[in-house]
Amino acid sequence: MLFSLFLFAGSLAIAQTVQITGTVTSSEDGLPVPGVSVIVKGTTLGALTGADGKFVLAAPQGAQSLVFSFIGFRTKEEPISGRTTLDIVLEQDLFKVDEVVVVGYGVQKKREVTGSIATVKGDALASLATPSFDAQLAGRSAGVQVTTRTGVLGEAPRMRIRGVGSITSGTYPLVVVDGVPIFTGDQGGAASTNALGDINPSDIESMEILKDGSGTAIYGSRASNGVILITTKRGSGGKFKVNYSNYFGVAQPVKLFDLLGVDDFVTISNEKRSNRGQSAWASNDGAAYPGQVVSTDWQKAVLRSNARQQDHNLAFSGSSEKSSYYFSLGYTKQEGVTKPNEMERFSVRANADQKVRKWLTLGTNISVAKTDYYGLNTGNNSLSGNIFSAIRQLPNTPIYNASDPTGYNIEAASPNLVGKWNNNATIGDNLPNIVYVLDHNAQNSKIFRTIGDAYAQFNILPYLNFKTQIGIDDSQSEGFQYWDPIHGDGRSSNGYIYNDYRNQMRWNFQNILSFNKTFGDSHNLAATLVSEVQSQQINSFWGDGSNLSNDFFRHNLITGSYGVQGSGGSLTENGFVSYAGRLNYNYKGKYFIQGSVRYDGISSLPEENRYGLFPGASVGWTLSKESFMSALNNIFSDVKLRASYAKVGNTDIGYYPYFGLYGAAKYADYNGIAFSQAGNDQLKWETSTKYDFGLDMQFLEGKYKFTFDYYMNNQDGLILSAPTAPSLGIPNNSINKNIGGMKNWGYEFSGEAFIIRTSDLVWSADANVTFAGNEVQSLYNDLDMIYNYTIIRVGESYRSIYGYDYRGVNPANGNPLYAKADGQIVQGNIPTSTYVNYDPADPTNVSVAAVQLGNADKKVLGSSIPTYFGAVNTTASYKGFDLSIMARFSGGNMVMNRTRMDLLNQNFTNNGKEILGRWQSVDQPGDGMTPKLWASGGNFVNLSDQASTRWVEKGNFFRFSTLSIGYNFPKDLIKKANIESLRIFAQAQDMFLFSKYKGIDPEMETDGTDYNGTPRQRVVTFGINLGL
Amino acid sequence: MKNIISKIIYSKKLVIMPVLVLALFISSCEKVIDLAPYSSISEATAYSTPSLVELSVIGMYNGAQRGYYPANGTGRGYPFGAAFVEQGDCRGEDAVNLQAFYQFTYEGTYTTSTANNEAYWSDTYRLINRCNMVIDGVNDAVKKGIITDVVGNQYLGEARFMRGIAHLELLFHFARPYKATAAASHQGVPYRTKAYTTQVAIDDGSKQSRNTVAECYAKILEDLNFAEANLPGKSARSGNAKIVRATKGAVIAYKTRVYQHMWDWANVIAEGEKLKALGADGYTLTTNPEGVFVSNYSNTESIFSMENSANNNPGSNGQLANMYNGKARALVCISPIVWRNSYWLADDKRRTALTYKASSGLVFTEKYKDYTTYSDAGPVIRYAEVLLNLAEAYARRNTGSDLANALVNLNLVRNRALATPATQAYTAASFADNTEMINAILAERRIEFCMEGRRWPDIHRLMLAIPAKLANGNPPAAAFTLGTPYTGPYGVVSVPYDNYKYLWPIPQIEINANPTLAAEQNPGW
Repeated sequence: MLFSLFLFAGSLAIAQTVQITGTVTSSEDGLPVPGVSVIVKGTTLGALTGADGKFVLAAPQGAQSLVFSFIGFRTKEEPISGRTTLDIVLEQDLFKVDEVVVVGYGVQKKREVTGSIATVKGDALASLATPSFDAQLAGRSAGVQVTTRTGVLGEAPRMRIRGVGSITSGTYPLVVVDGVPIFTGDQGGAASTNALGDINPSDIESMEILKDGSGTAIYGSRASNGVILITTKRGSGGKFKVNYSNYFGVAQPVKLFDLLGVDDFVTISNEKRSNRGQSAWASNDGAAYPGQVVSTDWQKAVLRSNARQQDHNLAFSGSSEKSSYYFSLGYTKQEGVTKPNEMERFSVRANADQKVRKWLTLGTNISVAKTDYYGLNTGNNSLSGNIFSAIRQLPNTPIYNASDPTGYNIEAASPNLVGKWNNNATIGDNLPNIVYVLDHNAQNSKIFRTIGDAYAQFNILPYLNFKTQIGIDDSQSEGFQYWDPIHGDGRSSNGYIYNDYRNQMRWNFQNILSFNKTFGDSHNLAATLVSEVQSQQINSFWGDGSNLSNDFFRHNLITGSYGVQGSGGSLTENGFVSYAGRLNYNYKGKYFIQGSVRYDGISSLPEENRYGLFPGASVGWTLSKESFMSALNNIFSDVKLRASYAKVGNTDIGYYPYFGLYGAAKYADYNGIAFSQAGNDQLKWETSTKYDFGLDMQFLEGKYKFTFDYYMNNQDGLILSAPTAPSLGIPNNSINKNIGGMKNWGYEFSGEAFIIRTSDLVWSADANVTFAGNEVQSLYNDLDMIYNYTIIRVGESYRSIYGYDYRGVNPANGNPLYAKADGQIVQGNIPTSTYVNYDPADPTNVSVAAVQLGNADKKVLGSSIPTYFGAVNTTASYKGFDLSIMARFSGGNMVMNRTRMDLLNQNFTNNGKEILGRWQSVDQPGDGMTPKLWASGGNFVNLSDQASTRWVEKGNFFRFSTLSIGYNFPKDLIKKANIESLRIFAQAQDMFLFSKYKGIDPEMETDGTDYNGTPRQRVVTFGINLGL
Repeated sequence: MKNIISKIIYSKKLVIMPVLVLALFISSCEKVIDLAPYSSISEATAYSTPSLVELSVIGMYNGAQRGYYPANGTGRGYPFGAAFVEQGDCRGEDAVNLQAFYQFTYEGTYTTSTANNEAYWSDTYRLINRCNMVIDGVNDAVKKGIITDVVGNQYLGEARFMRGIAHLELLFHFARPYKATAAASHQGVPYRTKAYTTQVAIDDGSKQSRNTVAECYAKILEDLNFAEANLPGKSARSGNAKIVRATKGAVIAYKTRVYQHMWDWANVIAEGEKLKALGADGYTLTTNPEGVFVSNYSNTESIFSMENSANNNPGSNGQLANMYNGKARALVCISPIVWRNSYWLADDKRRTALTYKASSGLVFTEKYKDYTTYSDAGPVIRYAEVLLNLAEAYARRNTGSDLANALVNLNLVRNRALATPATQAYTAASFADNTEMINAILAERRIEFCMEGRRWPDIHRLMLAIPAKLANGNPPAAAFTLGTPYTGPYGVVSVPYDNYKYLWPIPQIEINANPTLAAEQNPGW
C-alpha cells in the first residue's frame, strides 16, 4: 500500500541517456570550482565537479535542465537545450539566499520551507570554550531558551524550545545526530554528566532547530518539546584538507558573594545571641589560640580564580566524485570554577560516504567519545555542598591547623566539624571543613559513548530513492564516589566508597523512501515515507562499602577493605515503532503545501492506547513571485507567508507509567515487596497541538532578512503525576493521569542585515527577540500544585513564584511584617515565634494574637518564566581582522533568591553583607527590610523554605555573552610556508552582566529559585585555527 | 503502471531488498513495544504465591521502618523506625536540639508545609495503605487456596496490629487527647480500612471525613483484639523476629498503652496482668538497665522494636545513634531539665551506663551505639513501660491493694537502676498519697524512657502545656551540674494546652489534594 502512492505519482519512464560534460567556474576569480553538485532537474541523478571544475553526467534523454549548487554559491539552473557541453559560471551567494536546511528525514531548500526552522552553523560555536555545545545555543534563535544555571561542568543547561512542554513529563527536545535520535540528559555515574557533552562541537556542520508543528510533525510522538537535528561534517570540495585548531583559556567565577569580614562577623554573631539573652558565640582572639587572629576567604578557597581549559582538534577530510570522508580527533580538558570540578574528553569521528554503483551509495557516521567528569557535592542543602558550606564557614577560622593530625582545622572533640578556633562555639549547621571535604572526597563519572550509523541509499529511479539506516547510541558510564572517614557529607560512617556501571543501549532502524519530481515544469512534488523502530535497554549495577578499614583503600572498591557492603542494580527497556509519511507540493515555487502524518506505538502505554496518530499540515505562499509584486522585486526579493498546524506527542513519560506495581521493599535484611506505583490503565498519549503563522522577507537580494512567527502550542492530556491525598497512602502521593493542560504562545522576530560589504570591510548583524507566554489550563481537579516557592495553578504561568507579601520591619521592635490575605498587617513576634496584629498607631503592642500565616495568605508573586528574551549578534571583518560580539537579554520573570535567604541565616555561620542593614534599635532601624537578629531563629525570622516578596526579585538582565576577535594571516604570506589558512583569535564569554538582581546571576535559577548554585564561569581563551 | 513495475524489477533487481527489509521489520516490531517491567512486580501477581504473600507482608514492615522522606527521596525512619523516637523527644522538654535538624519540631515553628510533619502524616498513612493491601491480598490468597487459613490469619493479625498502632500514632500528633471532650467526640483522624490502589478507590477515599477520637480508639481496639486472637506468642517465632515482628505479647503490651491514653485504668491493669501471665510468651526486665540496649534484638525485655541493619536503616539523617550519640553527629542531647530532675538520683546506674558526657560538657544518650553501621533497633515498646503503665493504673485507681501493686511495679523498674536499692528503694512510706506516687511514676517514665520518644505522648495524654525548653543550640556545660533542679534560662517558650500549635496541622499537601480534610483542618491552622 505504501508503494502504490509512489507508483501512482510516478509516470515518467526511463529512456536512453545523453552524456553531458562541462566546467564550472567562479564569477569572482574565474577559477574552477570543485565539488559542485550537478543534478538533472527533478531527479536525483547527478555528479560532482572534480578538482578541475569539470563534470561528466549521464542525463536521460528529454531532460530539461541541470541544476548546479554548491555551498557559498547561488544555485543556478541551466536549460540543456540539446547541448552536450555546458560551461557554467557560478555567482557567490553573499547573502545565503539559497541555503539548504536539514529537515526530518531529508533536506529542503530554505526558501521552500513552510515551517519554522532555525539553523545554527557549527562554525559559530566551534571555537567557543564550552563543556557542551548546547550551552552555546543560547540567543542563537528566537523562541529557543538555553539557560546555563551553574558553573559546574557536566550539569546540563536547561533547554526550552517555545516554552515549557510538559508539567511533570520530560521537557527536553529530541536530539537527532545524523538521523540517529540520541540519549539526552544525565548519563549516570556519581558526578553530573551531560549527554551532549560527548559530542565534539568541532565536528558539527550545522544544527537545525525545528520549532513548529510543520517541522516537528514528522517526528510525531517525540516532537512536543521541539527537535534539534545535528549534521556532522563531511568531506567536500573535491580536495584533501587538514585542519587543526585549539584554544587555551582561563575561567573564573563571574562574581562572588559579598560575605562578612572578620570583625563584622563577630559583631553580627554576637548580636544574634545578645538579642536573645545568650552568651557570645564568636571571638577573634579567644583562649584557645591566643594572639592568632585569622581571616579566611572560604569562598576563594573553594572556587578557582584561574581554571585552565584547553581544546585541540585535528580533522582530515576529502572528497571525490564518488566518495567523501571526514576524520577527526578531538581532545579537551577543562577545569571548572569550583574545585575539584573538571572535564576531559577524547573524541574520534569517522564519516565516510561511497558511491558504490550508480544506484547505490553506502556510508557510515561513527563517533566514539570518552568523557570524564570530576564532580563534587553541590547539594544546595548538603553539609558538604560546596556553596552551601563555603558561604557559611566562619571567616575567623583557618583552613589548616598544623597541630591537628590531619593538618586541617578540624574540631578535636567533634571531628565531623570544622574547628571553632578562637570562637566560643562550634560552627552552626554541623558543617565540616569544606576544604578538607573537597581535597579528600571524590565524585566522578566516566562515559564511554559510541554513536554511529550505517546507511545504504538506493537510487531506484531518478526521482525515487530508498534509504535504509541502522543507528546506535551506546553510552556506558562508570561512577565512583568516595567519602573520607573524617568528613563525608557531614559526618561520615567511617568512610564510604561506591562504584557503579550503567549501560544505555539504543538501536534505531529507519527506512526512508523519497520521491522528488517536477511535473510539467511547475508542479513540484516531493514525498517521503518513513518507517522507524527503536528499542533501548538501560541496565545498571552498583556496589558500595562503608566503615573502611583504612583510607588507603580509597581509589576503588577493594574486596575486603570495608565493613558494610551493599549492592544494587536495575534493568529497564522501552521501544517504539512508527510509520510516517510526508507530502510536499509546490506550484512554481509560489504556493506550497505540506502534509504529514505519523502513526506511533510506544511500550510505555497500556495496550489499548499504545498507538497514536499525529498529523501535521502547513501551507506557504511566496508573494514575491506574484505578478503584482514584480515591480517591487528589486526591493522585496522574497516574501513568503506560512502557516502550520500539527499534533505531536511526548514519549518522555517514564517506562511503565500505567502499571500498578510492587517494588522491592526490604525490612532490615528481610526481603519484601510493597506497592510502588499506582496503575492507570486509561493512560494515553500526551499531545501538543502546535500552530504557527510566519512571514519571511528578504530585501535587496537578501541583504536584509526578516522573519516573524506567531506560535501557539496547546499541550493537552499532559500526563501528570496527579497529587493524591497523602492520607490514602498512594506511593509518592501521586497517580499518573492525562489531566494537565498548558498553553505556550509567543511572537518571534528575527532579522539579519549585511550592512557593509566592501573588499576590505564586511559588517553584518543579526538580532532576535521573543515575547512568550505560558498558562496552565487544567490540572487534576484543578487543584493547585504547591511547592516551597512556586505554584502550578490554573490560569497562571507554569511554576509561578508563590509566597507571602512582606512589608518590611516594624520600626518599633524589629519584627518582620506581613500582609495577610484580608489586608491585615501582622508582625512575626520574634521572641515568641508567634504572629500578632500590627497597629501602626501602636507599633509596640504585641498582645493581639493573629492567625498564623498560612497558604491562604500566599499569592502569586510573578512568573518564573521570562516573558521576553533575545540576542544581538554582530560580526565585522576588516582586512584580516574579524570581530564578533554577541549580547543576550531576557526578563519579565521573577526569581526567588533563596541563596540570599541563606546568606541572612541566623545560625552561627557567616552571612552576606546585607545583614549589616538589620534593625538594631528604634534609633538604628537599619535598612527597614532586615529584621532584628535572633540566634537560631532563621526559620521564623526569614520564613525558611517559603517565598515572600522579601526574597523575590526581577530576573531581567542584559549581558555580553561572547566577544571574539581574530586575525587571518594574508594568504600570500602563509603560502610560502605551505599553509592554506591561519587564524589566531581571542575570545571572552560572560564578560559583562547588567542586572539589578542581587544574587550572582539571574539565570542561575531552577524552577524560578536560585538556591546555592555554583557561580557561572567567565572564560577568556586564545587559540589558532590552521588549515593545510 | 505495469511497465514501471517491470522496469524497476528489470533494471534494478536490488529493489527487492528494501521491500524485503521493510516487510521483515514491520512483522517483528510488535515485540519492540510489548514489554513488561523487570524491576517491579505487577500488582495483579503480588499475592499469587505463598512466597510473594510473605514478601508483601514484610514490605508492610518496610513502610514502618524506613518511610520515605520527601525532601531527599530516602527513608528517615518515619513513622516507627527512628522518627518515632526523635519527634517524640523533640516535642518535649527533656531533650535539647543542638542544631537546625529538629528545630521546627523543637521550637514549634512548624507550618502546614514542614517536611517532618508531612513525612509523619504521609508515611504513617502509607503504612496503613500497605496494611490494607496486605489484608485484601491475604484474604484473596486464602480464598484461592494459595495459603491456608491459619497462615492467613497470622498475616491478618500482623497487618491489623500495624494498622491499629499507626492510627494511634497519628492521634498523638494530629488530634487532641482522648480526654479533651467527655465522650472523646472531638476530631480524630480518618481511620482507613480500605486499600487504595485505583482512581475509583482514591475518589472514594477522598470523601472520608475525620473519625472522632472515640471512634478511632474503638477501631484501634477492634484491630488489636483481632491481632491478639490470631498472632502467635514470641516463642513461636525465632531469632530477631521474636521482637521485630508482631506477636501476641506486642499486641497486649500496646493495649496497655491504648487504654492508658483513654484513662481506662481497669483495662490497663487487665491487659498488663495478662501480659505478665503469658508464661513462655512473656517478658522480664533485663538485669541491668542497659541490657535491653546492649543486645537489642535478643533480650527478655524488648517487646516490639523496628529492626535496622547495616544495609537497610533510616540513614545518616535519621538513624538513632547517628543523630543522638555524642560521638556521632550529636544533634540532640539530654536536657538539663530531666538530667537535674530531683527524682533522678545522682548515683542512678542509668546516668553512667546509658549516657555519655562529651568534652563540651553536654550529656548524650548512649542507648543507641552503632553510629558506624546504623544497626540499632528502633524501640517501640518494652516491658518496663508495661510495668510503669500498670503502676500508674493501680495508683490512679487507688482502691484496696492498688497502691501496693503500684509500688511493686514501680520498684521493679526503678530498683534495677539504683546504686543501693536496699536504702534507696521507694516504700509505702515514701508517698503521702496516690498523687505523690503518680508524680513519682511519671518522673520515672521520663528517666527510664529518656531519649526513647515517650515524652510527647505523656504530655499529650496528661493534657500538659508543652513546657518551656532550653534554647535551641548548645547549652553551657554548667547547665548539667547536678545538685539542684534546672530553673532556667529557657529559650523556647511554653505552648499552652489550648494553643493551636499543640497539634500538628494536617499538612498542606493533604489539604491541597483532599477537599474533605481541607474543611476539617485543626483549628488555628
